[in-house]
Amino acid sequence: MNNAVANQFTSRLEDYQPIVGKSSIDELRLLANRLARKSVQHVNSTFVGGGVAEILSRMVPLLNQLGINARWDVIKGDDRFFDITKKFHNALHGRKEQLSKEDFEYFIETNRKNFDVLWPSADYYLIHDPQPVLMIEKKEELGGKWIWRCHIDVSQPDMNVWGFLDDYVEKYDAAVFSAPNFAQNLSISQFMISPSIDPLSDKNRDLPASAIEAVLNKYNIDPQKPMVVQISRFDYLKDPLGVIQAFEMVRKGIDCQLVLAGGAATDDPESAKVLEEVQKYADGKKDIKILLLPPGSDIEINALQRAATVVFQKSLREGFGLTISEALWKAKPVVATAVGGIPLQINDRLTGLLCYSVEGAAYALKQLLSNREFAERLGRNGKEHVRQNFLITRHLKEYLLMFTALYNTSDIVYI
Amino acid sequence: MIDWLNDNWILLIAPVVVFLAFCIIGLWARRVVYNRLTELMAKSGWSGKEVLVHTTRGPFFFWFVLLGAYVALMISELPEAGKDIAVKIVASIFIISLIWLLIILSERLLTLYSEQIRTPRPVGKHLATAVRVAILVIGILILIDFWGWPVTPIILLLSALILIALVASRDAILNIFSGFEITAGRLAKVGDFIKLGSGDEGYVIDIGWRNIKIKSPDQNLIVIPNSKLVKETIVNYGYPLKKAASSFQFYTRLHLKQLTGLKASNLLELIEIIKTAPDAVIYYHTYHFLEEHQYLTPEPANDFALWIDDSLDDRVLAEKLANIDTLAYFSVSTLRTALLLVLEQHLEGHPELAKKSANRDFYFIKSISFVLPTSYVATDLREFVEVIRNISIGSLYYHVFESRLRLKKRSNDFSVWIKDSFGEDDLADRIDMLFPYTYTLEALRSAIIEQVEKRIK
Repeated sequence: MNNAVANQFTSRLEDYQPIVGKSSIDELRLLANRLARKSVQHVNSTFVGGGVAEILSRMVPLLNQLGINARWDVIKGDDRFFDITKKFHNALHGRKEQLSKEDFEYFIETNRKNFDVLWPSADYYLIHDPQPVLMIEKKEELGGKWIWRCHIDVSQPDMNVWGFLDDYVEKYDAAVFSAPNFAQNLSISQFMISPSIDPLSDKNRDLPASAIEAVLNKYNIDPQKPMVVQISRFDYLKDPLGVIQAFEMVRKGIDCQLVLAGGAATDDPESAKVLEEVQKYADGKKDIKILLLPPGSDIEINALQRAATVVFQKSLREGFGLTISEALWKAKPVVATAVGGIPLQINDRLTGLLCYSVEGAAYALKQLLSNREFAERLGRNGKEHVRQNFLITRHLKEYLLMFTALYNTSDIVYI
Repeated sequence: MIDWLNDNWILLIAPVVVFLAFCIIGLWARRVVYNRLTELMAKSGWSGKEVLVHTTRGPFFFWFVLLGAYVALMISELPEAGKDIAVKIVASIFIISLIWLLIILSERLLTLYSEQIRTPRPVGKHLATAVRVAILVIGILILIDFWGWPVTPIILLLSALILIALVASRDAILNIFSGFEITAGRLAKVGDFIKLGSGDEGYVIDIGWRNIKIKSPDQNLIVIPNSKLVKETIVNYGYPLKKAASSFQFYTRLHLKQLTGLKASNLLELIEIIKTAPDAVIYYHTYHFLEEHQYLTPEPANDFALWIDDSLDDRVLAEKLANIDTLAYFSVSTLRTALLLVLEQHLEGHPELAKKSANRDFYFIKSISFVLPTSYVATDLREFVEVIRNISIGSLYYHVFESRLRLKKRSNDFSVWIKDSFGEDDLADRIDMLFPYTYTLEALRSAIIEQVEKRIK
């Protein structure tokens, strides 16, 4: 793990105690004691950017604090390699991609050139996503348990790419998916470990009222008017036009405002086009703000979510959708479409409202804006749901359990 | 020498006679004085009387001997220079004996009083050493002064050393005085169960001159400086309650989700998979589901009911499934039978629902359970209630909900232990009667604490 990334994370395990309780931290220590002096290596393809790097930058120091010898390394590749892996990524999401025999060979060659990043004698190797999947070729030589941690939805992949990857994935001891509907049929053990948010990060930590106010002032947002917020990058799959349509339906009867805020994906040329289209569509419509946030706007996102009356996530397709957990953690009522990992985070009418259409979204929004008590109850439940299931401490616990499970075959393990 | 004695024997007679007379008077006086003193002391209620009498009885006679030697020297015909030295030696012996007596007397009185005023364990020992050193130093200074040597520089040096020592050990001194406050003020004593404002709690196992040691219910040894403890809010629950015949070891159960690859997109598929799925799958969607949703009141009863309501929009069937009391079944297989009975009966009446597509698929997940002992052990009801405050939701769930699967009856581990170890049937039954569905697990925790506290107050 490089020093720059390690130094960014300064939280101690004890800092989570007031949030999850002493007993949860005690349980982590109890489990870790049984794995003391074991070594774990995480391998992925980037130290910065994206949810995986964000989680690993917290997970690895916390594992070390628990007495487990953990490290994190990345494989290196040139532009051609990452072009190929980008195509892999799209193909695994079901998009048809043109990949030649040479592309596959180049992918294999680059992976093999990176074999030297592997630790010679780790007890567990966690290989994240398809980019470094070929590291498994060193399994026989290095020993240990090998886990493929897949963060993306591979339930409906382009079979040309999946067929290629599957041969390698099947050689692992286990695979880990974020949600049951993301998985493939594999002959190896498959565990479900959802991703998590860090309650102490800039994006999620408590903010003073003055910081929230400052952000609202900065973007000229009326703090008195009920505010509906969707935080997501400008992408057709996030259905920003659908959000505006639903909002317009609601605004006819309820005075409120809409904030669509997000960044432009630098690796997606379509993003600028979507933003332009959204701006054009919103032009002239009252009480709608479109905010293009620069990278590193974690505090701004946090403040906007905290200032929101209702948080929207009207995606047409979604990965796990951790922005839902981020909003729920702030005890906000959420309206979201039942796609990707969202139904795991929202139990309809218990921790939020699920919708399937623009009309459904508008109806749910009306319910929440007009019934404050109901909205508050959903927000409260949502926060507890996240505390129980989507914080980094739970994530850490499940990794520790998985390490133990790999040496046990029973459904009930007494340790 | 013999010639000198032959010439001067008359000069020695008087001093020897005087010396022997003082020895005889000393023996007589000791008998009279101490008989009288014993009578007087018998009437007084002072607890140090025996110490005083026994300690001074020996030196009393010795001082008469010294007095005899002094008078004998004074009337003797020795040269003035020799007489001066001899008198100084006798006086020095007297001072040394006085120092020795004071040391012995102070040690014995301190031992006596430290038992009465409950000083922290090693404080009496350290105080005795300090007093012994102080008397010794003062005695030596008197002797030096008596022989005419200068004492002022020594006094200055000693004062400086004492000042440095006081500054260097101010924390220790603070702790010692706080130790007196704890014991003399009866804030706590060994064996008490105390709870501090900081959250630390447990049985006091030792009160030392610097710190107090507490054994917490999770078997940790907590060492708190006395000066810190006196600043804390202390709740002292007093002596331990009746000890259980066997202690209660708290366990916790953690879960890891394993994907089965099984999924249902309609009611018929759901039924078929429920029929054949491993027990660990049914367990996950019924028992573990309750734990995952413990923050909701009333809790949705099981995952199947929730999915049918959400994704098949069949409120009637969802209600029927929700009405199945998971905890009334003492094995997963009987619970599975109950679920299938409701599903199949409903399908018989509504065959059109068999293949109605759900909004989203139901994925069957298997729970791998990890049972592990926690560090918490309770040996009496006070420890039990304090541990209940601290254990995880998983541990509470394991002992209250899952116990039914292990015990094969509608009870829980806590009630069984309370009944078997203390014969407290009434309390055990009251805990048994707490209906878990109507509480969140946190509220259930509070309800158990309330019941036990009512009993032990």
